[in-house]
Amino acid sequence: MSAGLRALVRFHLTGEMEGDDRRADSRLRSALLAPYRDLSQLRYDYPLVLVEGSAGGGFVRSLSSVVDAVLREIAPEGGQGERLRKHLLRLEAAMRALVAEGVEATLSELWRLAEHELLSQCDEEAAGQLRESFGQAEAAGLVDGRVIDCDDGTPSQLFQHAWDAVQHERSRRALEEIEGLLLRLSDILKADFQKSEEAKAPKNLRRSVGIRFEESFDFEALSRVLKTSSSEGSLSESRRERIRSVLSVLESQRFFALPTDAEGTRDQAAPHSFVFDSCTRAWEVFRERVPEMLELLKAIAIAELELENRYRESEHDALFGRFGETSLTPEDLARFPSYLIRLHDKDCEEREKARLIDVLSSGLPLKILVQTSDILGKPSLGDGQFALGVRGMQLASMAVGLNSCFVLQSPSSDLYQMRDRILGGLTYPGPALFSVFTGAVENAPDLPPYLEAASAVQSRAFPVLAYDPGAGGDWASRFEVTGNSQAEADWPVHSFSYEDADLQRVSEEIAFTFADFVASDRRYAGHFAPIPREDWDESLIPVREYLGLAEEEAARAVPYVSVVDENDILQKLVVDQKLIRATRRCAEMWRGLQELGGIQNSHALNLLERERETWEHERERELDELREQALREPRAAVAPPATAAGEAAPLVMQPSEPETDTETEPRSSDEPYIETPRCTTCDECTVLNSRMFAYDENKQAHIVDPTAGTYRELVEAAEACQVCIIHPGKPMNPDEPGLDELTRRAEAFN
Amino acid sequence: MAMSVSAPRCLQWSDREDYQLEDYEAEVPRWCTGCGDLAILAAVQRLCRDEQLPLEKLVFVSGIGCSSRFPHYMKTYGFHGLHGRALPVAEGIKLKRPDLHVFVNTGDGDCCSIGAAHWLHAIRYNMDMTVLLHDNEIYGLTKKQASPTSPRGLKSNTTPRGTHLEALNPLSTTLGVANVSFVAQAVDWVPTVLYEIISQAFHHKGLSFIRVVQRCPEFLPTHFDPWMHDPDRLLMLTHEDGIQASPELSRTYKQQEVHDPGEMNRAREIASLKDQIPVGILYRNDEAPCYEDVVGSGPPITGPEKIQASVEAELDKFTVWPPSEGREGRG
Ligand SMILES: Cc1ncc(C[n+]2csc(CCOP(=O)(O)OP(=O)(O)O)c2C)c(N)n1
Ligand code: SF4
Ligand code: SF4
Ligand SMILES: [Mg+2]
Repeated sequence: MSAGLRALVRFHLTGEMEGDDRRADSRLRSALLAPYRDLSQLRYDYPLVLVEGSAGGGFVRSLSSVVDAVLREIAPEGGQGERLRKHLLRLEAAMRALVAEGVEATLSELWRLAEHELLSQCDEEAAGQLRESFGQAEAAGLVDGRVIDCDDGTPSQLFQHAWDAVQHERSRRALEEIEGLLLRLSDILKADFQKSEEAKAPKNLRRSVGIRFEESFDFEALSRVLKTSSSEGSLSESRRERIRSVLSVLESQRFFALPTDAEGTRDQAAPHSFVFDSCTRAWEVFRERVPEMLELLKAIAIAELELENRYRESEHDALFGRFGETSLTPEDLARFPSYLIRLHDKDCEEREKARLIDVLSSGLPLKILVQTSDILGKPSLGDGQFALGVRGMQLASMAVGLNSCFVLQSPSSDLYQMRDRILGGLTYPGPALFSVFTGAVENAPDLPPYLEAASAVQSRAFPVLAYDPGAGGDWASRFEVTGNSQAEADWPVHSFSYEDADLQRVSEEIAFTFADFVASDRRYAGHFAPIPREDWDESLIPVREYLGLAEEEAARAVPYVSVVDENDILQKLVVDQKLIRATRRCAEMWRGLQELGGIQNSHALNLLERERETWEHERERELDELREQALREPRAAVAPPATAAGEAAPLVMQPSEPETDTETEPRSSDEPYIETPRCTTCDECTVLNSRMFAYDENKQAHIVDPTAGTYRELVEAAEACQVCIIHPGKPMNPDEPGLDELTRRAEAFN
Repeated sequence: MAMSVSAPRCLQWSDREDYQLEDYEAEVPRWCTGCGDLAILAAVQRLCRDEQLPLEKLVFVSGIGCSSRFPHYMKTYGFHGLHGRALPVAEGIKLKRPDLHVFVNTGDGDCCSIGAAHWLHAIRYNMDMTVLLHDNEIYGLTKKQASPTSPRGLKSNTTPRGTHLEALNPLSTTLGVANVSFVAQAVDWVPTVLYEIISQAFHHKGLSFIRVVQRCPEFLPTHFDPWMHDPDRLLMLTHEDGIQASPELSRTYKQQEVHDPGEMNRAREIASLKDQIPVGILYRNDEAPCYEDVVGSGPPITGPEKIQASVEAELDKFTVWPPSEGREGRG
């Protein structure tokens, strides 16, 4: 072992280095992040447009998707379209640059600014062409709304906006209902009034005719005639009183802002607010408002009965008298606005944290956004043990454990991709926790928040996960981790190219591990030491491979991560043992999540293995029997175990008989399989579930992992496959819902 | 039968690399899920991989249509041309760069309608290239408009009451042109045979014309079902000079005919079959002269000096000359 290597091994084991020339202050980042120096040059999910006046999934769009949509609409194929495309992409780049400089504006304002900038840079002719393109794009109709970049404030703005969108829709529905009730109930009172003495009085009759014809009538006479008509069927005093009180509740409720009425007589107090910065406060307010909620619900129920004249005092008085807090159902609650609580991990007191758990387990529609700007935490005393994203991760896992709480964990970088989940959580009838890592880390100031956040997902330090208790009864339907990059793998692997000392292009595959994530955080600089170039040899092993080494091999190896400095010069850093341990723990945690999400599930794999063994035994036994039989009756030919091919030409395309090739394993009809050589690469099955179906080296489909999806998906793929070569076999999970029907549908393909 | 391989092809085989199928893949195809074009693309990529064709020696030329997006999906040279003009562009390329393998991807609209004139002459010129007619019997890109190969009575957006005329038969038409040298038919849903036919076409010296019956599930989702669901309605043409059906294939496709691709008359009869789709090589003539061999392709434009000279000439167009040697001044 060379002296250099010895020093590295020593550092790895003890965290100490002779002469201690650590990279204490240098600005390093993982080599995989090297190409992303200037994000404003890239087309990616940010900036986001918080679309105004949108309902449902369209509440947020990425700037590039807005531009793409316009191009799809207006840019024809060919030269003309090409020019439009170029112009709009330039405009988009200019808008991106403005946002990166910190301009806060709406899309239309930003568009103007960028347009102005581009036009001022070119000559008349070019400007004319640009103007024409921009005009065309605007004529196609653009969405508008505030444009935001990825920074500390992003989650808060985005969730507020999503909540507004959900709330807007909910309010619209509620108001439609309330206004309808108001109108129809007042009509009952108005009709009743017409039967009263007061209505028939000359003064009122005069009012109803209007000034212009006042002289043409004798209202006294009219009144005398009318008074002789019967007043039968007028409302009882108690009914009238009840309707009045219902009207007053509907008009004065403060959950939904009623528009001002024509007469301007409505005096609704300012509507309630539902957005809070504290769990405790939100909780108190919610409790305070319960009586008001009950009153409104009661009023609506009575109104509905009254409109159909079905209110029976003998029966309903008592019923509504008993109507109290315990009568509230989740459906009732879902008619009211949900509460949005935005917390920041760093200024969240202990009391708040305790209240947070109360809120999440309450079953009430309170939606909590917890923003974390530091998932690593401060290195704890001396020994540098890693807290390892405890705060963020713990919170989400705890909330998942509550069972009935909707949970979404995602860093800012992935929020756009998770937009449907955000809406899902906000519309879910119970509580929801959104745990978001903002990426705005004080200790990694050289990385823009977007990159920091994206690195957190990549490195599994803060994986994307979603738990939706409303999606079904089992984990398979509720829990999802597929939003993570290369979710099947321990660490995502990316290819990385650079020029070596001889200016030759070198490409290698690098895994993005937890250690790579930590490498850009200055607080942890002590866990790394630079490896002098002359010591770069085979004893250096990338962290991912190092974790897979057997103990005695590991003892001879030095784990490293590849980083670049601010001049993009490649460096290798040895990683100390403590960080390696933390990295291993991170991988274990990730594997736990994978299993919950149905990836490499150990129970399923064990079951599969057991089934395979049983099947093989059975097969072996059958073959033995046949052999024995053949020995006993030497002249009788041994019938092949497979059924003989049918002679009649099939009317419907049948699956070909299994290949009789003796090399290949015999197939049980219980196992799903594809007749791969007949696959037409049509994408149907791979689009349906790319973890279950994949293409082989000939670009023809086969089943890579029958447990990576449901039996339903297998059957649906078999039905979608136009050449009928997917054979779904028998269901593997006996608990999957709807198996009877699925098995019946599968018969045609087995 | 001797396989004819031109000299440049042999030469470039000497520096082959280990190409994988992915090396030929460019962007993710934008075709609809289930589209038969995907099967054709996969077969072509398998062929390139199996033949270890260097990326820079391949060029795919197309016109306009869904099928004509093909060149975008091959990580090779490509030319996505004008509607109906794939063939003349391909001929130009072949004439100047005989060392390239030229493939043409064209649709039934692109080839048999607007490009019909070029089609006939390209067959007669018989330049060494592989032409794939992606025939879905409809204009896919322009969203279900009738094409010349749409069967009579087909309802489309341009013929809401059904087309009025008998369809044009691309096989009989091609077989009727003087100097034709290779005509075959494949269906996209039998990938092994599709591959085999493309492979034989590729090895044929001269223009090989393959009509691929191609599904368009987007606009004609059940159009070819009667043939897909009844293997007896495919007629496999087998011959020692054509394709040979494997035992597995023969189990499904029992209707077979031994057809000698040298027999033009039988080829024409087969081409006009109505109920069955013939699959295999209908006609082949290795003796038909190729235009580029007859007229020669002129001096090659490759080689270091040539390249240098043409680059200089291109750059000169953008050079700002000092007043004394300005363009005008230099005459
Ligand atoms: C000169 C010209 N005329 C008309 C068109 C419109 N056009 C585009 S594609 C097409 C037909 C494509 O049909 P086909 O060649 O069968 O291709 P497919 O989309 O079916 O693969 C037409 C008429 C055009 N692009 N250019
Ligand atoms: S659906 Fe069938 S033909 Fe299509 S890719 Fe899957 S197996 Fe192949
Ligand atoms: S429209 Fe038809 S031909 Fe075009 S991509 Fe879709 S399926 Fe294929
Ligand atoms: Mg077509």
